[in-house]
Amino acid sequence: MIQIRNMSKWYGNFQVLKDINEEIKEGQTVVVCGPSGSGKSTLLRCINALEPFQKGEIIVDGQSLTDPKTNKYELRTEIGMVFQRFELYPHMTALQNITLAPMKVRKKSRKEAEEHAMRLLERVGIPEKAHEYPANLSGGQQQRVAIARSLAMEPKIMMFDEPTSALDPEMIKEVLEVMVGLCKGGMTMIVVTHEMGFAREVADEIIFMDEGSIIERGTDISFFQNPKSPRTKDFLDKILI
Amino acid sequence: MFDAVINNISYLMGGYWVTIKLAFFALAGGIPLGILVGLGRISRNKWVYYPVTLYVNVIRNIPLILVIFWFYFVMPIIIGSPLDPFPSAVISFIIFEATYFGEIIRAGYQSVSKGQIEAGYSTGLTYIQTTRYILIPIALRRMLPSMITQSIVTYQDTCLAFVIGLPEFVRRATIVDTLEVRSIQLFGFVAIIFLITCYIASTISRRFEIKEQEGG
Amino acid sequence: MYLVQGIWVTIKMGLIGWVIALFLGVIIGTMRISPWRWLRFLGGAYVELFRNIPFLVQLFFWYYAGPMLFGASLEKSINSIIGLNYYVAIIALGMYTASRVAEHTRAGFSSISRDHYNAALSTGLNHPQMYRYVIIPYALRIIIPTLTTEFLTIFKNSSIAMTIGVLETTFMSYKIDSETFHGLESTTGACLIYLALGLAVVGLMGILESRLKIPGMIGR
Repeated sequence: MIQIRNMSKWYGNFQVLKDINEEIKEGQTVVVCGPSGSGKSTLLRCINALEPFQKGEIIVDGQSLTDPKTNKYELRTEIGMVFQRFELYPHMTALQNITLAPMKVRKKSRKEAEEHAMRLLERVGIPEKAHEYPANLSGGQQQRVAIARSLAMEPKIMMFDEPTSALDPEMIKEVLEVMVGLCKGGMTMIVVTHEMGFAREVADEIIFMDEGSIIERGTDISFFQNPKSPRTKDFLDKILI
Repeated sequence: MFDAVINNISYLMGGYWVTIKLAFFALAGGIPLGILVGLGRISRNKWVYYPVTLYVNVIRNIPLILVIFWFYFVMPIIIGSPLDPFPSAVISFIIFEATYFGEIIRAGYQSVSKGQIEAGYSTGLTYIQTTRYILIPIALRRMLPSMITQSIVTYQDTCLAFVIGLPEFVRRATIVDTLEVRSIQLFGFVAIIFLITCYIASTISRRFEIKEQEGG
Repeated sequence: MYLVQGIWVTIKMGLIGWVIALFLGVIIGTMRISPWRWLRFLGGAYVELFRNIPFLVQLFFWYYAGPMLFGASLEKSINSIIGLNYYVAIIALGMYTASRVAEHTRAGFSSISRDHYNAALSTGLNHPQMYRYVIIPYALRIIIPTLTTEFLTIFKNSSIAMTIGVLETTFMSYKIDSETFHGLESTTGACLIYLALGLAVVGLMGILESRLKIPGMIGR
């Protein structure tokens, strides 16, 4: 589904991603972890062309990002992204947040888009909040609306950038539950997170990044119990109490 | 191409000199008065706060041109004899710009967060020490960019003294224009001079701002 | 009396100029943060040009020198338009204020986090759609206070049009003095008019702000 080959990215003189190689198959859930500044968020933003990269190749669903013929806007309709700070449009209700892109990009009628949006809101568990403004929703509810908003475009891939880091502890569970539901439903997912419990439950592969490179990969049990690299071990020691 | 300008260059630049003098005096008087106004706006003394606030709010709602006019008419009545345009303009400017500088100072003062002041007290500093070592340095840094911007605005506003006949830069350009009717050259020249000087000044101010942010 | 006629002219100039300024200013502000370098440059050039030259100088340039820019034949016909000074003043006022609105709009855009832009783009919206439906409505609400100040300023700057003979409030007070020597009264009257205008603007923008308020947004 996604192939990344020898990809590197610089901000000016600073190399933020170093020779990344990775393949993610359809239906897989990949968790990316690592200390701040390791480039994990940047990596995500390169995959859906929000950030450019200078070297290497990224191929998403057969389309290469470096090919000038690839339409970036169309590509983004196939990849949904959920952000740490939710980023719901504050001047629109939950429902409007979800229906905006389907109506303007896929040219759906208001009725169609709203029906679909209500179904998504039910799926994430808060259909009654459809006409609320983001400011009246809790963090956990906002993030779930954000997930619904990304799902509205029926993407093939979902990416999550530290989706629970800005949430109060009691709300983390409700969001993780939605994400687990998505995994089990067969969605291809890339999740940057520190929630190791989530990783243990659903990840097909866990990647540890540090200073712009992929240091180690593993499937859950081996990763947590026998990390190969000392840096991985160090990091896991710090975050797993 | 710029022959009309070149032929009259000394006359025009004489006007520019008047502009600079006016700006200089306006700032020399306006900033100190502005400091007093700013302090007045912060004051907890009712007899100080209300009159100053009234003064600031009235002046800020009135166009500068009107202030210049109003002054030109009022002063002779009070003094008993008509005033020259230059002193009248200087005083109008000082009174006008002081309100703007006052607001900048007030904003700078109020922007220093209470937390920083409390931190000062909690390490044992007295009121005067906290004000001197914490409050004033931080407030000054915050105010400086706006002060510079406002000074540039004052410099630009000097051309409004045109209306009371002050022979500054723009007025001299119009006088030359009535003779030579080379309007594009003349006003273009005036525009370019202002463009270059203000652009340089604001670029310097921006460098300053960035340096302050890095250092501060 | 004369003053009343003047007030009407001032109000018209301010309102029409404001409409021009808002429309033009938001577009230029958007240009300044767009991803295309030449658009950014054009926007920046416009702002610097109209910001660094005093409004009076701009006004004189457009009024005296402007017609000449159209060549000798058009110049005569332009100069014979009745009320030319009024139209030139409005356009000059609009263009000048637009540069300031552009700067405020740009500040509003900058205060919106990068990820907010990313979130909109990630749902497949293209740039124009993103600006139109997500960013601009949000940014405009953020900058309502600064726009209020700018709205006030435009009425004050309209007085400068008196220098090219536009019959607005300040000009009228001058005229009254030259005819009746009651300069003190007329200029005081004009002052009061501007004060009243200022109050009206602040009140109007206040109503606008509460109407458009996004629930939960950070207030002033």
